[in-house]
Amino acid sequence: MLDGSDGAVALSVNGLTRRFGGLVAVDNISFDLPARRLNAIIGPNGAGKTTLFNLITGEIRPDAGRVKVHGQDITGLKPHQIVRRGVSRTLQIKSVFTGLTVAENVRAAVMAHEGLVSPFRPASSYGAVNQRVEGLVVQVGLRKQLNTRASALSYGDIALLEIALALANEPKLLLLDEPVCGMGPQETEQTVETIRTISESVDVVLIEHDMEVVFAIADEIIVMAQGALLARGTPAQISSSAEVQEAYLGAPEEAD
Amino acid sequence: MSGLVLALAVNGLVWGLIIALIALGLSIIFGLLDIINVAHGDFFMLGTVVVLVLATSTGSYWLALLLVPVIGLGVGLILERVIIRPTIRQASLTIVTTFGLSMMLQEGVRATYGAQPRRMAAPIEGTIPLFGIDYDVYRIFAAAFATLCLIAFFLFLTRTKLGTWIRAVRHDPETATALGVPVARICAITFGLGTAMALLGGAIAAPITTVEFRTGVDILPFCFMAVIIGGLGNLQGTVAAALLLAVMEGLVTSVTDPTIARIVSLGFMSVVLLVRPHGLFSGATR
Amino acid sequence: MTAVAISRAALILTVAALLAVPTVLPLLGSPFWIDVVAEILIWSLLAASVNLLLGYVGLLSFGQALYFGVGMYGAALSVIHWGAGFWGGLAVGVVAAMIMAAIAGSVAVRLTWHYFAIITVVFSLILYFAAMSAKPITGGDDGISFSVPDVVSLGGLKLSLADQSVQYYTILLVVAGFYGLFSIIVRSPLGVRFMAVRENDRRAALVGINVYVTRYVAFVLAGALAGASGALFAFFGRYASASYMFYHVSGEAVVWAIVGGAGSLLGPLFGTGLLIVFREVISTFWEHYLFVVGAITVLVVMFAPRGLAGAWNDALQVLTRSKDAGTSDTTASSGEQDLAKSTTDATRGGSGA
Repeated sequence: MLDGSDGAVALSVNGLTRRFGGLVAVDNISFDLPARRLNAIIGPNGAGKTTLFNLITGEIRPDAGRVKVHGQDITGLKPHQIVRRGVSRTLQIKSVFTGLTVAENVRAAVMAHEGLVSPFRPASSYGAVNQRVEGLVVQVGLRKQLNTRASALSYGDIALLEIALALANEPKLLLLDEPVCGMGPQETEQTVETIRTISESVDVVLIEHDMEVVFAIADEIIVMAQGALLARGTPAQISSSAEVQEAYLGAPEEAD
Repeated sequence: MSGLVLALAVNGLVWGLIIALIALGLSIIFGLLDIINVAHGDFFMLGTVVVLVLATSTGSYWLALLLVPVIGLGVGLILERVIIRPTIRQASLTIVTTFGLSMMLQEGVRATYGAQPRRMAAPIEGTIPLFGIDYDVYRIFAAAFATLCLIAFFLFLTRTKLGTWIRAVRHDPETATALGVPVARICAITFGLGTAMALLGGAIAAPITTVEFRTGVDILPFCFMAVIIGGLGNLQGTVAAALLLAVMEGLVTSVTDPTIARIVSLGFMSVVLLVRPHGLFSGATR
Repeated sequence: MTAVAISRAALILTVAALLAVPTVLPLLGSPFWIDVVAEILIWSLLAASVNLLLGYVGLLSFGQALYFGVGMYGAALSVIHWGAGFWGGLAVGVVAAMIMAAIAGSVAVRLTWHYFAIITVVFSLILYFAAMSAKPITGGDDGISFSVPDVVSLGGLKLSLADQSVQYYTILLVVAGFYGLFSIIVRSPLGVRFMAVRENDRRAALVGINVYVTRYVAFVLAGALAGASGALFAFFGRYASASYMFYHVSGEAVVWAIVGGAGSLLGPLFGTGLLIVFREVISTFWEHYLFVVGAITVLVVMFAPRGLAGAWNDALQVLTRSKDAGTSDTTASSGEQDLAKSTTDATRGGSGA
């Protein structure tokens, strides 16, 4: 990813619109995100960023518009179908299988990806699955917590576990919704490092409020405001844009 | 013949008004505390039993009728404190808690009051001619009184500070807390109020039904039908649905088996549950 | 000993005790209790069907009596009209219950939470009223009775349910078979999907699980358990009655499952056992035992929402603290999670990979 894009498009959004009652959460938004780049979406609260993610992953149906991932139209598919087409995401409020251990969490995700549904063979007897589970757990750095219940993990570790779950389907596109929200400096550093490593092999789009993180790792930034696309460019371009300053960076920021 | 049909429709209307009162109690509890109160029918039953016992011991049905809602409020407040509040966190299990409560109420009444069904003498005797048949005056009174109670309830919700608070908590508990509404106390009062309405319904209905420990079991599905068909959170809808269902069952009963009427209502309710996505589908994606 | 070893020993002990029932109880002068234990085994399958839904996919059904009733009539009617034998009647009962569950479930599992509970009750009420009024077929409240066929009839060998021991062992065999199947399923990849859906249905969808289909499959399987329970009960009582389809029966099954501990395989068996023994003992001198059952229900939800199985696990953890400290944390958050966490080490055969 050092040399940037070769013209391939990771995510293409065209005329995407979603209204909630009178409120237009996402307003006729269109953009193409280049592959092999770490893209970030920023914007003030209520800009429609999370709704945009929900539209991409099929959790909310768009009123209008199309979504394509690597040229494949995924508009209107159900969330689990979209996951099977190589799109994964994490949520702003970290979402894992709370009562299960780290290994069981990841195993559930890997087995879902492999399409395993046998009602008879013991789940622990799938050698290849166990290997992948181990690999993913090591990849996000939770080796030591393999047999710990998710409910007993620290906040930062839960976030890492969620990333492991999101990687289980070998995604082509990974959407991260505020991955470092609520983390201390050390956890933030570890998570940022993990994201950076992942982005070498997977196209990553992240929503983030922490500007330091965004400017440190994003290749390209999209700014959303009031459901629409306000600006896009490199971190340098964005930080010097008067328009963005006024709409967003100038205003007192509230990471909520 | 059509006179009889009309009289059955009026019968349905009378019952519909009483059930509307009980169903509203169920609805505010469900809307505010997010509890499926399986014991609500047994609160109705408790109302019929208490009014009979009180009327017998004091010699005055009217005094008993006044006392029952007060007792109901007390019972509701105590139960909320002792049973509901400690288990409310286990949202999906409140239905189990109230099922346990339902068993206790039924068996408790059977153990103390007895298993024998009794009939209560109507406090207003006499009949008036209605559509060519003699109709009980008390039934007319019951309908009028239930209507008064319904009006009083809606006035209470819209015109008093407490009522406004109840509506506020129901609409958005977090904002209500932020605005300084004592949410926990409002929840307790709502449960007490809902319970009182069920007992009051029982007290009104006692002279026109049998009084025994099992009557709640028949009333409960009816109340749920009214709440669901009327639309959750829609109190006026609940009243309308209760009337509609009762009149319909009254009429259907005049031509066929009452069980068929019940099946039709339940089927209708399932369709409403499934088709009206009015917040009914919490669905797989939430 | 590790927790797993203790649990295994307890399981072996339970099986041994169940096998010894027809020999030991008459020696103690109470052959009547053989039938009580048989009844516990039968009803525990109904509790198990509640448990499969509540404890493994996180859906509270208040309408499992419907599938119990269908299983009951499936067995009774096939014996009466088609001359089916014991095994044939059992199969018809189970399959009929599964078909019923497949029909009702296709719409019911679209709803969750309270709405799921309500729709399951409503469906069971509809069929209850229908069965009550279809007297010519179902016998309504009075029910229909039949005489039981032989369990085995091979040449000279004839085993009949009329023999108390044969009946007991037949029931034990069938019930154990269903528990065996249940335990295999919940450990399988399908069981992993169940638990993922129970723990977090949104995340389950986001790792590629079809939540609707997963819940549906569980619903139909739960129908099979309830149907088996009903069919066995029909053979046990030699009759079938619509009154068993009422929602109070469903409610009792929920109580058994929760008292025993939803989310553990055998918890509901012990919950059912405890409450039925309690009923038999108390009801001999006080007819209002249901009052106490109601109180127990409320108290269990209040103070021990993980039931007997939860208490057992806590005890095991205390006993084997040093061994298992890292693997079985149960720091409680709020109730939903508590329930979810009641999955025992015993039923999972140890935790982890």
